[in-house]
Amino acid sequence: METLITDLKTQIIEHLNLEGVSPGDIDADEPLFGSELGLDSIDALEIIVMLERIYGLKIKSQEEGKKVFYSVRTLAEFISENKGLGVV
Amino acid sequence: MPAYINSIGNISPQHSLDNNLFLEEVVDHYGSHLTCKEPNYRDFIAGANLRRMSRVIKMGVSAAKICLEEAQIDNPDAIIVGTGLGCMEDTDKFLSAIYESNEEIISPTQFIQSTHNSVASQIAIMLGCNNYNFTYVHRGFSFESALFDALLQFEEDESVKNILLGGIDEITPNYLSITGRLRQWKPNEYSQLSLLANHLRGSLPGEGAAFFMLGSEQAQHTYAQLQAVGMRYKPADESEITQYITGFLASQDLAIQDIDLVLLGLNGNTELDKVYYRVRDLLFKHNHLGYFKHLCGEYKTATAFGMWLAAQILHKQRVPEAVKLEPFQAKNINNILIYNNYSNINHSLLLLKNV
Repeated sequence: METLITDLKTQIIEHLNLEGVSPGDIDADEPLFGSELGLDSIDALEIIVMLERIYGLKIKSQEEGKKVFYSVRTLAEFISENKGLGVV
Repeated sequence: MPAYINSIGNISPQHSLDNNLFLEEVVDHYGSHLTCKEPNYRDFIAGANLRRMSRVIKMGVSAAKICLEEAQIDNPDAIIVGTGLGCMEDTDKFLSAIYESNEEIISPTQFIQSTHNSVASQIAIMLGCNNYNFTYVHRGFSFESALFDALLQFEEDESVKNILLGGIDEITPNYLSITGRLRQWKPNEYSQLSLLANHLRGSLPGEGAAFFMLGSEQAQHTYAQLQAVGMRYKPADESEITQYITGFLASQDLAIQDIDLVLLGLNGNTELDKVYYRVRDLLFKHNHLGYFKHLCGEYKTATAFGMWLAAQILHKQRVPEAVKLEPFQAKNINNILIYNNYSNINHSLLLLKNV
């Protein structure tokens, strides 16, 4: 799980072009949105695309999305639980 | 109705960021294409906004910001931009992503930013400017169309006092690769300052982002007066071009001998440049002549760089040696005519006057 969390932090930094941010700057348990990272709705879309492209996972329910995108850890747990299952 | 060029912001392959400097040092890129001398964009754009912007958007927004600051205007009455190819870097990326993902997954940021009006809209968002906002994408007439619209805005609406006008285009690796296969560019690396002496096939690709604050009234720091703009699509021959030029000047109560400097859009393509030389022989044998595409390269909005050049010449009353087609001493430069053609299709004229 910790390896996946570190990978996710690196992928988020790269996909969202968060210049000057390192994986160590992101707290895995802090909210991804509304935090110091300054992410917005377009970033949420970018993370959805990232999930699909890298892990082959799709999120169909808005309710599910809110839970999954809460933090890097919830995102990692979602990937871990659903990897290989495809569409959720 | 004429307009005044009251401020400038220009990011180009030359050192053009500082408006107090004017080609004291000419940059010879010695390569096969010219790319811009870019500033540290963090000096102009907040980090949170910067991370989503592609290079041409950064160039355009920064040039606009330089222009706005010099004019000390934070909410222009209109923002009008001309671009031949828009935001190609993002277009490249999202089209590649569509292809690679079998037409399923694309990045929203690249898709949003790939639209041609991204630069004008980003400037408006940055300023909170809800006024007229338009982007012209008319190939070799893109900047001229934006300019024409700006003059019409002044003509039609007396309440319009200041218009932010820009011309932008960028080079990307894919653009160079595709147009290179069409043999548009000289293949080797060479000193672009000797562009006209290089007789290999093709021209020199370039890019730039030039912005101007046009005013209906003269300001304290006015560079020049923009008297008129003209466009002629696919003229049949040089006779039609020369008739068009003399008619254009006559409409401004000017004759050929009244033009103190003619800036030609010569781009090193020996076939296309023949048109310029014939027009020179027919009309401008006794005028001082200059050219500019060895400084900025060929691109669809290169006349924006030409307009920057003309405005600076009029303002500083100095013609840089690198601009002169042949040696001359110019005194009292009052009228400058820019004659450009893009691929011998889009022929345009810009007339600037000293103030």
